[in-house]
Amino acid sequence: MMARLKSRLMLALRSLLHRRQVESEMEDEIRFHLEARTADLIAAGKSPREAARRARVEFGATESHKDGMRAALGVRWADNVLADLRYAARLLRKSPGFTAIAVSSLALAIGANTAIFSVANEMLYARLAIPRARELHMLYSVGKRPTVIHGSWGSNFNEDGFQYLDAVAYPFYRQLVENSHSGLEIFAFKPLDRLNVTANGQAQAAQGQLVSGNYYSVLEIKPTLGRPILPSDDAVPERGTVAVISYGFWQHAFGGAADVIGRSINVSGRLLTIIGVNAPEFTGAESAQRSPDLFIPITMVREFAPEFDKDLLTSTRLAWVNLGVRLPVGASKSIAEAALTNTFQASVRSGLKQKDGESIPTIVLEDGSRGLANLRTNRELGKPLHTLLGLSGLVLLLACANIANLMLARASGRQREMAVRLALGASRQRVLRQVLTESLLLSSLGGVIGLFVGYLGRNALPRLMESSFDGYSTNIPFNWEIFGFAAGVTLFTGILFGVLPAWRATREDPNRGLKETAQSATRRRSAWSSKLTVSLQIALSTLLVASSALFLRTLINLNRVQTGIQADNLLLFDISAPPARYPGVSAQALFEQMEQRIAAAPGVTSVTLQTPSFVSNSHWSGDFDVEGVAPVTVDKNDPDRYPAMMMVGRHFFNTAGIRIIRGRGFGPQDTATSASVAVINESLAHKFFANSDPIGRRFKDKEDEKHLKHFRTIVGICADTLYGSVREPAEPIHFDLYVDVKEFRGATFMVRSTRPPDALTEDLRKIVRTIDVDIPLTAIRTQRQQIDANLQQERLFATLTSGFGLLALLLAMVGIYGIMAYMVTQRTNEIGIRLALGAQRNTVRSMVLREAMLLCVLGVVVGLGTVLAAVKVVKSMLYGLEARDPASLIATAVILLTVALVAAWIPATRASRVEPMVALRHE
Amino acid sequence: MSRQVDLLQGTLELLILKSVSLGPLHGYGVLLRIIQISGEQLVIQQGSLYPALYRLEASGALATQWAPSENNRRAKFYTLTAIGQKQLDQETERWRQMSRIMGAILKLTTAPDALAEEAQ
Repeated sequence: MMARLKSRLMLALRSLLHRRQVESEMEDEIRFHLEARTADLIAAGKSPREAARRARVEFGATESHKDGMRAALGVRWADNVLADLRYAARLLRKSPGFTAIAVSSLALAIGANTAIFSVANEMLYARLAIPRARELHMLYSVGKRPTVIHGSWGSNFNEDGFQYLDAVAYPFYRQLVENSHSGLEIFAFKPLDRLNVTANGQAQAAQGQLVSGNYYSVLEIKPTLGRPILPSDDAVPERGTVAVISYGFWQHAFGGAADVIGRSINVSGRLLTIIGVNAPEFTGAESAQRSPDLFIPITMVREFAPEFDKDLLTSTRLAWVNLGVRLPVGASKSIAEAALTNTFQASVRSGLKQKDGESIPTIVLEDGSRGLANLRTNRELGKPLHTLLGLSGLVLLLACANIANLMLARASGRQREMAVRLALGASRQRVLRQVLTESLLLSSLGGVIGLFVGYLGRNALPRLMESSFDGYSTNIPFNWEIFGFAAGVTLFTGILFGVLPAWRATREDPNRGLKETAQSATRRRSAWSSKLTVSLQIALSTLLVASSALFLRTLINLNRVQTGIQADNLLLFDISAPPARYPGVSAQALFEQMEQRIAAAPGVTSVTLQTPSFVSNSHWSGDFDVEGVAPVTVDKNDPDRYPAMMMVGRHFFNTAGIRIIRGRGFGPQDTATSASVAVINESLAHKFFANSDPIGRRFKDKEDEKHLKHFRTIVGICADTLYGSVREPAEPIHFDLYVDVKEFRGATFMVRSTRPPDALTEDLRKIVRTIDVDIPLTAIRTQRQQIDANLQQERLFATLTSGFGLLALLLAMVGIYGIMAYMVTQRTNEIGIRLALGAQRNTVRSMVLREAMLLCVLGVVVGLGTVLAAVKVVKSMLYGLEARDPASLIATAVILLTVALVAAWIPATRASRVEPMVALRHE
Repeated sequence: MSRQVDLLQGTLELLILKSVSLGPLHGYGVLLRIIQISGEQLVIQQGSLYPALYRLEASGALATQWAPSENNRRAKFYTLTAIGQKQLDQETERWRQMSRIMGAILKLTTAPDALAEEAQ
């Protein structure tokens, strides 16, 4: 059986490849037969002419036998497909308008889907490039809020009253390694954002990752050059002065020099020796998208992450180490979790004081195959990307409905052709195949162009989602998966919009089809399938237009939000002071020096610095205990009740343009040696001093207790401003002077100047270089850019959905115009009779319009119903409006009805201009 | 109508296999041998030989080769393969069985009991 199948396939393949030879051999064989027969007949006494005639008669119809031979070879289907394709191509060429609309709408829809799919595929589902990535799990501490863990440097989120934290304190990590007999090898790592690296004489910002000595062995990764970080490197704190660099960093900072191993680089003031270069595909344990530039032993943490007044290696009060394990396939997750939780809780009980109502977290293992950041990425981008995929899927569906509709109208025009084919003996299957070939040819054209659109769009999308000043960009790979997706979508759409017309084409009884003419005065068929398709199109358009209205209004609302600062003419950049070179308060001195030098630069009106910067999605807070009032206690109902804080320079309020409402701002009298002062905003005054005057009152942060000047006196109240994000309403903030803070390492400088940012940046770079050549300016942006970056996702949504909405309207218009024009043509006779019998032209016009509006209203009602039912999904992505925003929905309905009216107007007018005499003769 | 063609096709293929089993032949040679061994009793449309030959070739029952014919013309010769021999044996056995059954049925002169009941 197999042998036969194989021989058949081989023969078919050979025949297809050597088509011409096969044909000529067939000819030769038949000719040989005829000649041999003729010769035999002549030998039997026939005349040559008679013999040749007899031979041909006895042989039978040559062509039909040849066809049989071709079928036997398995090449006939290929001939059929080719013929179908040729015929389909000719038909498409004959109606360029239809082809253009169909192909371009498909290309846009398939392109949008491909681009969004490739982004979602990479951002949400890409795995780390390590062997057996599936085994990798990350450790989370999960506890009912409030938990006993107060201080954390890591990423946490709250869900259902539980706090998920991806980090533990270093001593707890060591105890987990030594005491939990889970049989699992735990490795530790920590991403470091702000490193200053001077390589080849050039100061630049770099990303780092602190890693434990067993990191490389657990991940089973070998560097392409040199050696990995080993357990001996992180055994003694401060002694592991080595670094493995990423392939990308090796290329751009060292030009891929082969002798890079053994070289020294200055990393935030410490000299490290390069011991290895990672493979290009390795991105570390945090993210599958981009690799940190440097991998450094974790016990070097004191050198590179010193913004805390606790010792990171010995303090139990700050959770900061990220942990991962390999959980072999088949190993029990719950048993591992129980073992780890046991040890962890024992450590926490002995290492931290538990207050009333605080819970002790458990250890939970989460999928780490996509990197630690993936859980966060999924939370942030999962819903938006899936929503976009859904919306672009609707666009695709709409494009399909549109083409199906146009094809239905064309199929009606070709009814006679189909009837003739069927009557001449074409099988239904054959005709079906012909129509499907046509639709698949269309979809393939759209698919090929769409793939190209998607290829261009895939990198534009993440660029719209990230801020340009971050300094890194995500490249979305264009691989077989994406290609397969596009091909699948193309095939699916081709069948989707081809199947209805194909079914209609073959359903016809050839007899009726042949007899039927347009002469029949009444509509025999109600063309319900076309009408329903148009209504479906309107419904889909309603959905898309409504969503674009919602996202547009969201963006408009967010743009209207008062930031409370004068954001124009403000240039921002980040500076961090490495502790190795600027220990303790010498960092503040460095920042003060920079402030003064920049303030003296030409064109600079004023300068200040702040941590964190406005609308940068970072949030700082601490205890807020007011003197003479019981300390703010842990409140289960309001765990976020601590006010936000911002550490600023003396000229902060006039640089940022924030009004002081009462009291005073900071002045020259406020120095590192004078009594600490603070300015609070109105919200804070309302929340904490509702019945009293805050000015002159003092407050402290418990963390400040070791600090001499731990009480701060409130000297003024300023107007409310935004804090972390444009989306969050103004909240209580207190502003403290950075000279009063014990540890101040990184800051955002804020420079007010009317000079163009580029020229100003050059001057600023020069100034900073004269102070310290190893300190780079990073993340240079204007305050406007920062606010815009904060609204990037909303802008992306508004842009894309508006695009979808416009395309939807265009397609709906084409659909309505198409079906109404077709109907008017079909009913020319009927209209002629009506007019001949005395119907008014206006009546005829409104008859057509009424029909169009009916279809439209049906579609709009269904569409709006769907919007109302589905809008909950996007509720969290909207701002300043109800999910069922009446204005957006009414506007959508009005727009669609108007579009329908406009689209139907031309056919309606044409109907009203029908000349009865012409119409009655019309066929 | 179509059933007749099927039957004829099956028979034709068996005839071809049998002819070729006696030695390599070109298409016209197959025809001559069928006429010869059937005592010129079988009438077949000559052209329909070729689709059948091609089908047998496609299924691997026949192998082909271009070679000079008896009068030194280039012709396509068909030879029986192992697959073809197996097919010939099976078809022959089936044909014998079929003709035994058919023969037995056609020999009947009176209706057997079971058949008679069914007919009512």
